[in-house]
Amino acid sequence: MEPPAEMIHWLFAMLLLVLGLCLLSEAIVGREVWQARPWRKYLWPGLAFGMGIVMWPVMTFFTNSAIHMYAHGSWAEVLMLAGGAELGLVRGRLKSRWWRLTMPLAFVVTGTAFIVHEQNAWYFARSAFLHHLLGWTFLVAAVIPLGMTFRPRSMTLQSAFALTFVVLAAMLFCDRDLAPVFGHLSPLAGVPHR
Amino acid sequence: MRRVLFVTALAALVVPGSAWAHATLRSTTPPFGHELQLTPHRVAFHFDQIVKVLPGGIEVLNDKGVNFAGTATVNGQNMSAPVKKLPAGAYTVRWRAISADSHVVSGVWTFGVRVPAPAVNDAYGAGGPTAQEDVVRWVWFLSIALAIGTLAFRLICLRGVAVPQALDRKLAVTAGAGVVVALQAGIAAFSLRAEDALQLPFGRFLYGDLSPMAATRFGYAFVVMTLGYAVVLALIYLAWLVDRQTFLYPALVLALVLVSGFSLSGHDAVDQGSSWLSELADWVHIGAASLWIGGLVAMVGVAWRGAPQLRGIAFRRFSELATVSIVLVLAAGIYLSFVRLPHFHDLWTVGYGQVLLVKIGLVCAALAWGGVHKFFVARVLERGASEGVMARVGRSLAGEMLVGVAVLLVAAILVDSRPPAQPAKTPAAAALGR
Repeated sequence: MEPPAEMIHWLFAMLLLVLGLCLLSEAIVGREVWQARPWRKYLWPGLAFGMGIVMWPVMTFFTNSAIHMYAHGSWAEVLMLAGGAELGLVRGRLKSRWWRLTMPLAFVVTGTAFIVHEQNAWYFARSAFLHHLLGWTFLVAAVIPLGMTFRPRSMTLQSAFALTFVVLAAMLFCDRDLAPVFGHLSPLAGVPHR
Repeated sequence: MRRVLFVTALAALVVPGSAWAHATLRSTTPPFGHELQLTPHRVAFHFDQIVKVLPGGIEVLNDKGVNFAGTATVNGQNMSAPVKKLPAGAYTVRWRAISADSHVVSGVWTFGVRVPAPAVNDAYGAGGPTAQEDVVRWVWFLSIALAIGTLAFRLICLRGVAVPQALDRKLAVTAGAGVVVALQAGIAAFSLRAEDALQLPFGRFLYGDLSPMAATRFGYAFVVMTLGYAVVLALIYLAWLVDRQTFLYPALVLALVLVSGFSLSGHDAVDQGSSWLSELADWVHIGAASLWIGGLVAMVGVAWRGAPQLRGIAFRRFSELATVSIVLVLAAGIYLSFVRLPHFHDLWTVGYGQVLLVKIGLVCAALAWGGVHKFFVARVLERGASEGVMARVGRSLAGEMLVGVAVLLVAAILVDSRPPAQPAKTPAAAALGR
């Protein structure tokens, strides 16, 4: 039996939150202190790579529409790519800083997939509203990892990058189909789930 | 204690309650793919959110396209339509509705009245495999062969050899690229199969319900192969990241086991005369062909130029691997030809046989070419060869490789073709068979 779809949103929200908190900790205490224990440097890139692997079952088990399948598939691929590139960089197997461009690429692909797979503009339905908000947040926030490609030691960019994941996690935790937004729910949106 | 608290906090974050998200068809009456003894009074759908009905939103079609459904009505999350009395036969249900999020969602499924329900890809209106599907399946075969062959080449042909780091990296990239392309080709093949069953324009297909297709043998194979090859990709990446070839062994075994998805979802699973033995033979056939052709691509495309000092040992060891693979390919292929073609003349009188004949011709050409390499070129290399000879051997191996790639193209067409029907057993023969 497949789990309710919202559980999957929350699973990924939790993983994004942990990822964001790891990055925030690193930004606060500094890279040297954070990497005092060697395994910590693999923590968030490994988490991103693992999220990519976990996204594949989501793609294959949620085939209620083709566009959802494609969106989940694209997220699985860019998460594995960006996480894998970061793992290669911290391990020293990849040398070029241009590999860091995989992260802004992942943000752009993810944001586009969020917006495209939620085509309706029913902002009174929380899911539609949040899908658009998530999509545009990813697209706009892509400039942060892009900036980090050129200024990887910038404290401001590191903090902004970490907080982006925390904010995205909060949005994903709020995501549900027919809950009201700003206290208003159109009767067209059907019956609230609770 | 701190670890327990950490895990508990994570679990609490994941499970704050439960709710549903995207509009989904939850159940139907009659269920997908059932054989009924009586005509159903209504065809009914239950969704997880409110839907609106569209004119002609439900059709119940027989094999001639006659619609037996009345006007569709909706009541909250339920949509249904009355059905006229149905004669015995196979039926296709096509439906569409507006979901609460404004999307037009559509789907198709099948049932039978006093006959088994047809597979959803044999629904009324479905056109069957196209040239597009053949090409996608070819790319799927080719990419999986590339992944399997490259892994086998690294683990078997270069075992115990000091492999330069650059070559190791190229082999990892080649195997990884094979898996990545295989994942895309799998998604494309599943989409094309679903598109054919749904018979929708692309814009509406994007909101089409693919779950009946996912519940077919092809769908199960797609799910298992996609998940399995994602793990294979992760293992190949980890092997490269931590520089440990140990991870490649489970990757190769898993990749070879997953090839059985083609056998379990193809003709061997459903056609008359099929058995567990024919499915096993098909798996051996595809797996051994992948080792042979994919290994050849890895040797010619990556190792021949990437590590000239390893050409001799790579050639000799690959020659042994290819011999074993070819024996398996031939043994399984000959057995399958006898199973699928009831008469010898089917080879030139039936479409399936004609495609098989082309494949046999190409395999013979590849075998002859491979034989020249094994029995003549190997001796030349043992005596030591100049750079010019080596370059010519490389080009010759590339030629054999291209024939192998062509064999896979014909195999892809063959998989999408239907073998001729098996002759009905006479009562006497049936008794003997028992």
